Formats: sequence, C-alpha cells, structure tokens
Amino acid sequence: MAVVSEAQAPKSIGASDRRFRLEGLGLTLVLVVLILFFTWVNPRFGTLANLANVLTQTSTYVIVAMGMTFVIAKAGIDLSVGSMLALSTCVFFGLIEAGWPWPIALPLMFLLAMALGAFNGLIIAFLAIPALIATLGTMVAFRGIALLHSAGKLYYGLPPAIVWLGQGKVLGVPVPIIVAALFVAFSWWLFNKTTFGVHVRAVGGNREAARLAGINVARVEVLVYTLMGFAVALGGLLWIARIDGTQATLGTAMEIHVIAATIIGGTSLFGGRGTIYGTLLGAILLSMLNNALVIAGVEFFWQLVAIGCIVIAAVTINNIRENRIGWISRIRHRRAPAK
Amino acid sequence: MQRQEAAVSTGEVLVAMRNLDKYYGGLRALAEVTLEIRKGEILALVGDNGAGKSTLIKTLSGAVEPDGGEILVDGRPVSFKTPKDATDAGIETVHQTLGLVDTLDVPQNVFLGRELTKKVFGLFPQLDQAAMRRRTHELLQRFAISLPTLNEPVHSLSGGQRQTIAISRLLLVEPKLLIMDEPMAALGVDEGSKVLDLVVKLRDEGLTILIISHNLEHVFAIADRIAVMKNGRLVAVVPSAATTREAVVGMITMGASGVRTEDRQWLS
Repeated sequence: MAVVSEAQAPKSIGASDRRFRLEGLGLTLVLVVLILFFTWVNPRFGTLANLANVLTQTSTYVIVAMGMTFVIAKAGIDLSVGSMLALSTCVFFGLIEAGWPWPIALPLMFLLAMALGAFNGLIIAFLAIPALIATLGTMVAFRGIALLHSAGKLYYGLPPAIVWLGQGKVLGVPVPIIVAALFVAFSWWLFNKTTFGVHVRAVGGNREAARLAGINVARVEVLVYTLMGFAVALGGLLWIARIDGTQATLGTAMEIHVIAATIIGGTSLFGGRGTIYGTLLGAILLSMLNNALVIAGVEFFWQLVAIGCIVIAAVTINNIRENRIGWISRIRHRRAPAK
Repeated sequence: MQRQEAAVSTGEVLVAMRNLDKYYGGLRALAEVTLEIRKGEILALVGDNGAGKSTLIKTLSGAVEPDGGEILVDGRPVSFKTPKDATDAGIETVHQTLGLVDTLDVPQNVFLGRELTKKVFGLFPQLDQAAMRRRTHELLQRFAISLPTLNEPVHSLSGGQRQTIAISRLLLVEPKLLIMDEPMAALGVDEGSKVLDLVVKLRDEGLTILIISHNLEHVFAIADRIAVMKNGRLVAVVPSAATTREAVVGMITMGASGVRTEDRQWLS
C-alpha cells in the first residue's frame, strides 16, 4: 500500500486544481529536439517532403495504436493485431479478386476485423483467459488462417478508389495523414469525453470497484477489443492502399511497434490510465527514429534492437513515475521525505 | 470529542430484522437476531471477531441471504438476493475496500456507473464534466468535506479523504440507511476523527447509520445506541448515554452473563 502523508487540513474544495494540464509536454519537447537533431545531422530529414512521408508511413501504426491505448488502459493487451490485419486484408483482396465490388467487400473487411477483435474480447471475458495468453493464441491462429486462405499468394491490384486512400492527396496533404488525424480526434473524444471512455479506465483501474458500481465489465471488455478490430481494419486499409498489395505475412511484429508507441506515450501497462495524445507522439517518435536510422544507413536489424530497448526503457520510466520499483522509491523517499 | 445527542431520531423504525438465522455449514453465524434500526440514529454494532457482525450487515446489504427470519424496510418485508436489491431499497454500504478507482479523479469516482451526459450536436452523448464537477462540489460542501483537488487521480489523496469520497458516492442517491464497515480502521487519529465528525453530520442531516467498529472510544463518541453481538446472538442494545465502556466490554467478552444488573433491561 502507498504511504499516505498526513498533510495539513486542506482549506477548500478543489482550490489547488491545475487549470491547465500540460500532459505530454515532455514528450512533445523530446520530439521537437529529435527533429532538430536529425535535421542537423542530415538536412534531408527535416524537409517537409520527408516529414510528410514519415507521417504517411506511420498512419497505420497511429491508428492501430489508438485501439491499443483503449486495450491497455483497460489493463489488457492485444498481441494479435498484426495477424488480424493480415487475415482481414487478405480476405478483402480475395473478395476483390473474386470480382466483388469494393463497396461490398470493404464493409465486410471491417466486420471481419471487428468480429476477430470481439472474439478476443469474448474469450478473455468469459473464459477468464489472461489477455496476454488469449491474444498470443489468436496471434498464431489468425496468422495461420491468413496463410491457409492466401496459400502464400502475393495480392496486388486494387480499384483506383481504394488506392487513392493510400496514395492520394487533398490540398497537398496525403490522405492517410488526414484519415489518421480524424481517427485520433475521434479516439480522443471517445477516451476522454464519453461514458465508455471512463468505464474503460475504471475497469482497467479497479475491476471490482467498476463491477460494484454497476458497470457491465464483460461488455466493456468485448467492446474494447471490437474497437481494436475496427482500428486494425482502418489501419490495414490505409496500408494495403498505400502499397497496393498484401500478403499473409503483412503486419508481422506489428504488435511490438504499436504497444511500444502506446507505452512511450505514457499509458500505464497496469491499466486505468492512458493518453491519446501521448500515443500519437509515441507512434510518430518511433517512426521518426526508424526513418532517421534508415537515412543514416543503419541496418534494419538494429531497428529491432532499438525498439526492444525502447520498450523496456519506457516501462521502466513509467514504473519509476508510479513508484512501482521498491528500491528506487525508497531512495526517492529518503531524499524527499515530505513527499 | 463530546457526544452529541441525536437531533433527528424520532424513534420510528426504519429497518427491522426479525429472527434472522444464517448457517455456514455447521456454524451458526446468526442465531435469531432481532434488531430494529430507528430513523435518524447512529446504531453501532460491536462484538468480537466472529461474533456475527459482518454476516449481519451482509444480509442487510444483499451480499448474503439469511436462512431464516425476515427483514422489513419501512414496515414492508423485503428479500435481498443481490447487492442491487438492497441499494434499490435505499440501503447503501461503504465497504472496507472503499470501491474507488485510484486512477480516476474525484467526480469520476463519485459518478462512476451513473455518469451525467449531454448531447453534442443533439446526437452524440458526451460526459457532462462541468455538471458532475459542480454537483460533486455541492455534495462535498453540504457535508463540509474539504478536498484540495478534484481533478487529480484519487490515489494521490489521503486515507481519510478517500473514505469521504467513498461516502459521498453513496450520498448522491440519498440513501435511507448507510452501513459503514470499520470506516476508521485504517486511518490515523486526526483523519479518523474527521470521519467521525462526518458521520455525526450525516446523522444530523437526517440519515440513518449502522456502523461497525472495534474502537469503543469512537463508538461512544458518536453512537446513539450500541448493539452488542456474541457468537451470532444479539446480547443487548443499549443507549450509549445509559451505559459505560466497562459494561459494553463485559457484554462483548462474556455475553449475557456479563451484563450488569442495571443494564438487565436492555437484554434481548
């Protein structure tokens, strides 16, 4: 239990509330400093064209990371996002190849991804399987179905209307950036301004208290993973439209990028707390780092090493902030006994 | 702390328990307990560990179904199968675990599960954060609860402040009976006395309160009547002004045989 400091009696209600909360300020500064640094090292990085390119490439990760923010704030995790993306995009391409018109195939892809997400939610809520294990299982199973369905095939050739979503521009701004921005705005509203958002954080923060308060915990669980499925479909759509193709191995190791973006942003892996703006910054930060490493000619495999280290570092920083590491919090309390 | 006389109690019975029985296997946790809770009083339930206090309040809060006997609220027989049945009948319980979500702020905790919403563009339901904050403020003001901050996560608040938030949560619906299970147990002296003040204030506002406590000093400071239990039986219900701590300790440890001659009239 946390040590409660017996502070002097407060004088009024809400007197010391902060009017303006500057959450994510630190991360914003890190991002700006990194952009300046990379540009100083290599002027090609700071060009508008390259930054737009980075944002376009990161749009899929940003969108999927939005869903992951809800999942992690609910004290869950979803390792199956990459497999869901591969399966739903392969099925979509399959329908297009079979001659289905895209206005029918597209909603079916979204429904399929949401059903896959809901399936995750259902087995977690009703079979009491820990989210880590449940989605580890579906990660492998969904990938298997995708491989079975496509039989190793490389799909290409989408209708122009779909390709426009990945490659088109509106007033000079790439369409994927616009779609991602709209979805971020929607996610921010849903997370911070709706009953659903509060219930997600309540279930993540204290499941039993949420249940006692009359919240249907299982319903929240299933809805969160269904939302995750929707985010995967939207992110997947932008991705396959941009490269005009897909295959059953698309999105492999995607979960680590998306989880990393969410955690770097400041969403607590232990649930109850999350930030949409932070996740957005986290996803952009990761992509920029990748891009800078590519420009610097660093081998791809080093990027994997970097991401793995960043995830561990981000969780450690979070743990220090939340006083979860016994020996560090003891040192901190010794230095500052008055809290 | 000076004991204050009940300002509101009219002697009218709010909740009546008649011959409540509860068995856990061979163990008789409640043995024909008959107890009345009067409107506007603070009734303290005392007794040793295993005396049946918790089982008794669990039957009142709907967590446990009695094997025999009946419960009447406002003279009408009720049957609580779930905690929701009890809250529907106007009986709210502050559990020892408080039931707060540490990562949410004060208004979010107070309104958890019954959030206020408004429509944006007449279409999308959105949280009415301003209204929830205002009503939380009013609620805290009404009971003179002071909190330094409303929009920080409640884990940053002290034990006593968290306790008051857990209580405020329940006051939102204006319950008839408020049950408190060891509300001062985990608190420091200063914080504990603040919670005691709050309990008295709630009584003066007209609330009826059933409180479990091990601390007889607290019990004598606030309770109008004291109900003593031992081995699942109700030993006696005494007005706290008419008895002494020694007498109550005697009843807790020795049951009916420990009752002083002058207290014989209170025997059940």
